[in-house]
Amino acid sequence: MKAPKDIYLFEDGLPGGTVDGFKSECPPDKKFKVENLFEFKRGRGDLAISAFFLGLALFFLIFFFTETGWDKRKLPQPFGTYLAHQLGLVEMEGRVPRFGRLLKQSWLIPMICLALLVPVAIWNFRASLRVYKWRQRFGLPTDMRYEFEKYGQALEYVGYFILYTLAVPILGYLLSTLILGTFLTWRLGYRSRKWIGIGFASSFAIVLVFRSFLQIKTPVSIWLYDQLPAALRGFMLTYF
Amino acid sequence: MEAFLTGLDSLMNPQVIVAIIIGSVGGLIIGAVPGIGPAIAIAILLPATVFLDDLVSLVLLLGVYGSSMYGGAIPAILINTPGTPVNALTTYDGYAMTRRGQATRALSLAYSASFFGGCFSILAALIALFAFGPYLRDLGALFGQRDILMAAVLGAVLLIAAHRQTMGLAALLFAFGFLIAMIGRQTTRQIDRYTFDIDYLFAGFNLIVVIVGIFALSQSLILLTGKDDDPPEARVTRGALLGFTELAKRKTIAVFSACYGTVMGIIPGVGEFVAQFFSYSTARALSKEPSRFGHGSPEGLVASETANNAVPAAAMIPLLALGVPGEALTAMMMVVFFDAGIKPGPDIFENNPDFLFSLFTALLIINLLVLITLLISSRTIAKMIYIPNRFLGALIMILSFVGVFSIRNSLTDCIFAAGFGYLGFILRRLNWPLVPIVLGLVLGSIIIERIAAGAGQVKSLVDLVNRPVSGTLFIVILCVLGFILWTSIQNRQQADQ
Repeated sequence: MKAPKDIYLFEDGLPGGTVDGFKSECPPDKKFKVENLFEFKRGRGDLAISAFFLGLALFFLIFFFTETGWDKRKLPQPFGTYLAHQLGLVEMEGRVPRFGRLLKQSWLIPMICLALLVPVAIWNFRASLRVYKWRQRFGLPTDMRYEFEKYGQALEYVGYFILYTLAVPILGYLLSTLILGTFLTWRLGYRSRKWIGIGFASSFAIVLVFRSFLQIKTPVSIWLYDQLPAALRGFMLTYF
Repeated sequence: MEAFLTGLDSLMNPQVIVAIIIGSVGGLIIGAVPGIGPAIAIAILLPATVFLDDLVSLVLLLGVYGSSMYGGAIPAILINTPGTPVNALTTYDGYAMTRRGQATRALSLAYSASFFGGCFSILAALIALFAFGPYLRDLGALFGQRDILMAAVLGAVLLIAAHRQTMGLAALLFAFGFLIAMIGRQTTRQIDRYTFDIDYLFAGFNLIVVIVGIFALSQSLILLTGKDDDPPEARVTRGALLGFTELAKRKTIAVFSACYGTVMGIIPGVGEFVAQFFSYSTARALSKEPSRFGHGSPEGLVASETANNAVPAAAMIPLLALGVPGEALTAMMMVVFFDAGIKPGPDIFENNPDFLFSLFTALLIINLLVLITLLISSRTIAKMIYIPNRFLGALIMILSFVGVFSIRNSLTDCIFAAGFGYLGFILRRLNWPLVPIVLGLVLGSIIIERIAAGAGQVKSLVDLVNRPVSGTLFIVILCVLGFILWTSIQNRQQADQ
């Protein structure tokens, strides 16, 4: 049951990707390897997000000294000699502090994390920049506008989600969900009665399953329910 | 045997039975709908599990995990679109068979291969529990804080190594997840880490908030801003049982594919993709008709479907035995353990052996139930393919809210989830891997916890690796790092040539 040393899934290219009518005397190299399935190509927005992660890493590095308890550190002195002693390079005289005391300090974990995060963020940004310059050099598209337009489109829906979140304590879970479910169905272009009905019914079903049946928590103080008669208010708060 | 019977008894609970049915049928439907996938379904279901019994929760999530790949084969075969990412290889031979008018044959073969793969790994795990159970109970004594710490570090290294061409990105996103995990007030010394005096951050980010944002909300945004697919019409006829007869003729391929799935599932960070590609390429190498692979070969279909369905049960083994999740879905299940107060790890063999038997027996029942459901309702489930993607996106968004809000009744959680969802959306668009973020969070939490708990026993740096288990794991870590370095140098040399 030994795996073949050189793994080619499809030596003649991807299934369905060949044209039967034409055969070149010198066929291109179309061997499809396992590696190809994990192939990764940096897209046009890659540089921006790589820069964002680099900025984030540097931000956390800058605040490492004030936000991790570094100012309250207790390091064995002389620290260089102590570290060399821990690595077995030198001997220390007198009572050597336990290494566990160092492990308990709050700044240690952030330091370990940043020791990984900062170099890989720099490396990733460098790799992304190289691809960007390579694309520029060979006249390939580098304009990020299309990508940013997509991010903008998504922001619209993030906005709806946040509005929905803010509406729940005012209108209640039932009404807010019905409004969002129906509105999104309409907004997405399913504007026939059938689809609006399906959107409405699906939202209602979600409320019934999660709130009425599973009794998942929703806000306890709802402005709209507070305007209702006491008995109805209690019922709505319990089931919707 | 006593533990097995106790485990069976706990499965007789009506709540557990309902969870098995909902999980397996729900997972099947979720798998059949391209665009959702088990990770999103589990992310949405996670908050609901807080209110359920731990066994009920795990069985529900296992049902979704175990059955989604069965469902994912349906659109892969009928419309050339994998229902879940791991069904991608199924499209090569499955869809080619459909184009030749053999859709029912391909589906029945996929069902029977999946069933075989699933049951093979579950039975292997159950036999191992019966055979080695008494010895495994002693394993707990061998595993201390430092050993689990090393296991978590090994999990992280394997995760990064498994990302092959995106190792740098995987390391970056793992570190980002780790960073999120450390934000908050350190419990032992009451020192704040990166809280910037913001009250919300004192308690740290809730794992579920990040998971729902990164997996569910981001996918919802992808669907909402994308276009609806227009899948071609596909017809399924009767005869789904015939696959077992055909599978019997290809038992060698089925057995080694199941072995690959089981072994690869056990290794943290490897998972379904590598398992099925290894089994597929081996099947091709052993086949009398290798040229048919990718053009409608039943052997190829058996190899990919058997291997990927053998993984879920096997992937539970490192989670249960070491408390280290190997990939995103088991990492999410780890959250259930956290909430239930159960610490997966070697102690579970001593303290909760019946729980282990319950889980694996439940998985066996789930596989059986899924097969029966598929045999009687394949045509109905196949219709799920035609639900418009963007409409699904809207439903996922609504479900994400209830998922996040129910954890702590916090609207701030929902707003942060929206932020993580937006970030996940951008990363998805750029094809950056999301799994390292979640594993960074989960493994990061384990590393932080174990360093704090084990610090008292560490006199010198050597004490971290001078125990039998931690020492062995440390050597394995060095070997993996050496392998990564060696392959990087090889790749660089090849690129230069």
